[in-house]
Amino acid sequence: MTTSSMQSLFRLDYGGKMERAIERMLAAFEENKFDTGRYPRRWLAIKLLEGDADILSRVQSMQGGAQIIALAQQNAEHLKSMLGDEVDLLTADRRYGYINGIVRQSLQRPLMDRITLTDRIDDIVTHKWLGLPFFFMIMYVIFRLVIDVSAPFLDWTDAVINGPIAHLFSFILNLITAPAWIHSLVIDGIVAGVGGVLVFVPGLLILYFFLALLEDSGYMSRAAFVMDRFMRVVGLHGKSFIPMILGFGCAVPAIYATRTIASRRDRVLTALLVPLMSCSARLPVYVVFGLAFFGARAGTVIWAMYALGIIVAMLAGMVFTRTILKPDASSAFVLELPPYRQPALKSVLIHMWENTREFVRKAGTTILFASLVMWLLLNMPWGVTNQRDSYFGKVSGMIAPVFAPLGFGNWQTSGALVTGFMAKEIVVSTMSQVYLSGEDAVTSEPLTFGEEMTGTGKGFITASIDSGKILLSILPGVDLIPADEAADDTALSHALQGQFTPLSAMSMLVFVLLYVPCAATLGAIKHEFGTSWAVISAVYQTSVAWIVALIVYQGGMLLGFG
Amino acid sequence: MLKQLVDLLENKENGLSLSEISRAMKAQPSAVLSMIDLLVQKGKLIEIGPDGKCCTTCGAQSDCNLLAARGKRYMVKPQN
Repeated sequence: MTTSSMQSLFRLDYGGKMERAIERMLAAFEENKFDTGRYPRRWLAIKLLEGDADILSRVQSMQGGAQIIALAQQNAEHLKSMLGDEVDLLTADRRYGYINGIVRQSLQRPLMDRITLTDRIDDIVTHKWLGLPFFFMIMYVIFRLVIDVSAPFLDWTDAVINGPIAHLFSFILNLITAPAWIHSLVIDGIVAGVGGVLVFVPGLLILYFFLALLEDSGYMSRAAFVMDRFMRVVGLHGKSFIPMILGFGCAVPAIYATRTIASRRDRVLTALLVPLMSCSARLPVYVVFGLAFFGARAGTVIWAMYALGIIVAMLAGMVFTRTILKPDASSAFVLELPPYRQPALKSVLIHMWENTREFVRKAGTTILFASLVMWLLLNMPWGVTNQRDSYFGKVSGMIAPVFAPLGFGNWQTSGALVTGFMAKEIVVSTMSQVYLSGEDAVTSEPLTFGEEMTGTGKGFITASIDSGKILLSILPGVDLIPADEAADDTALSHALQGQFTPLSAMSMLVFVLLYVPCAATLGAIKHEFGTSWAVISAVYQTSVAWIVALIVYQGGMLLGFG
Repeated sequence: MLKQLVDLLENKENGLSLSEISRAMKAQPSAVLSMIDLLVQKGKLIEIGPDGKCCTTCGAQSDCNLLAARGKRYMVKPQN
């Protein structure tokens, strides 16, 4: 076997944060046109991050070396602050862990009398039959916590955006005597569109907090291990589940994470299934519909969406494996199961913030742009009074019949789903613009700046107390929340209640879960595997989404749930 | 694995010997020794004699009969 073919088969995964730092170093090599000479690029990036004295002195003498070393030291410091150890210890830890994984899977030793706590926990969480239910139970508890605990903060953010922030913009626009159309653009376009998405930041903070806890405690590796066994049954490679777990955050890095899989066939198959994992961008859609139609059962419905994504991915994998992606020789799956450890709060908080910041950044760029375009389309031809007669309304009205058998054949929903192709959160921002424009929060009894600030502060304290009560109420035997106070609606949730039934809302959620991946995800698939696979991904997902939503809606009608 | 090793030695007042560590970690002593060497080199662990005293402060390491007879022990470097 040649050296190059060995390299293509084996590449040790150093874990999410470390891999991201390596990627940054490789990108810096590219940007600075840094010639690594006889050293392999990835190897050199790792050595620089480790601070290998010999390599540092050699690189220092190379052209552009000083700049690269400075960047490596900056990245190494960042890793140290997050992971609490020097990089060379972290990489050595991973290498020893990998070796230990191989030894454990290939060498049978006599049973030792000492069983560690990690072994005891693993007996349950990686058990042949209990492992999978345990994984789903963990995910269920997390989504209940995300929805229930974040609900009071969600209401508070909604009130702040539609109250003081909208009032502030309105005040400034009145001050400069802005024309009515600018007023409409800012309040109905930007505040309703971008604000409609930013409302969900508290929920995402909590979701990322728990995902970071799972990752840092060592449970994520167990989840991959448990799913590996299950995925092999349906003809998939065990390593595929690691990108899929990443897909719960965002499908784009998950698609790039398939590079760690050796076989191209397995990479392509994984990339086709990753977008079925419910990414965080879909969460705002689930929350809006969940709160509007399923009340206290919203958490269960959202958990069901995540579970459905996994199930459909498994079934799609079986179909692909038996048709256009027949399996080649399977390579062994070696996975390190690190010992359980107490997650470092600092690392968890950094992880949580970095992921949420990306969501907020997207709200300030992609969603802001989409909101402006949406506002234009809703107000063109100029002077149109009824949104149904706007360009957006007309085009959406033409598409609407396609969705009629699914229970949501109105022009507003069709339009929102089309705009969701840019990014899934835009479904919510479009609905906010369509359903909430004209519901001017500014017309309420005017408050002074001081009163608004006091109200905002009081609202935050009330939300914190309510969240604390909900959190405590999760404990068995504790009930601090009266039934009629549970799960308040956002403004959009309230507006949607007149447009959907619980059954059509469920059908809509299923469609949003499964339909065409967003433009960025398709771009990543095209970049990695070519245009044809990106087209296949878009077509098969949309078809599957339509069929499954049809089954949900028409099946529900037949069973009398309509 | 390194973290597991450090965690194992945490709160062990008299440290552990190589054979005790390798038994607890279910690994060959030769494999564990290379990990210990790295951690000692990085200042995470210290070598101690069988009586619990720190070997690095003793000038007679190479002639120590006790050490030769019972082997080194290792513990987490105390925080100053």
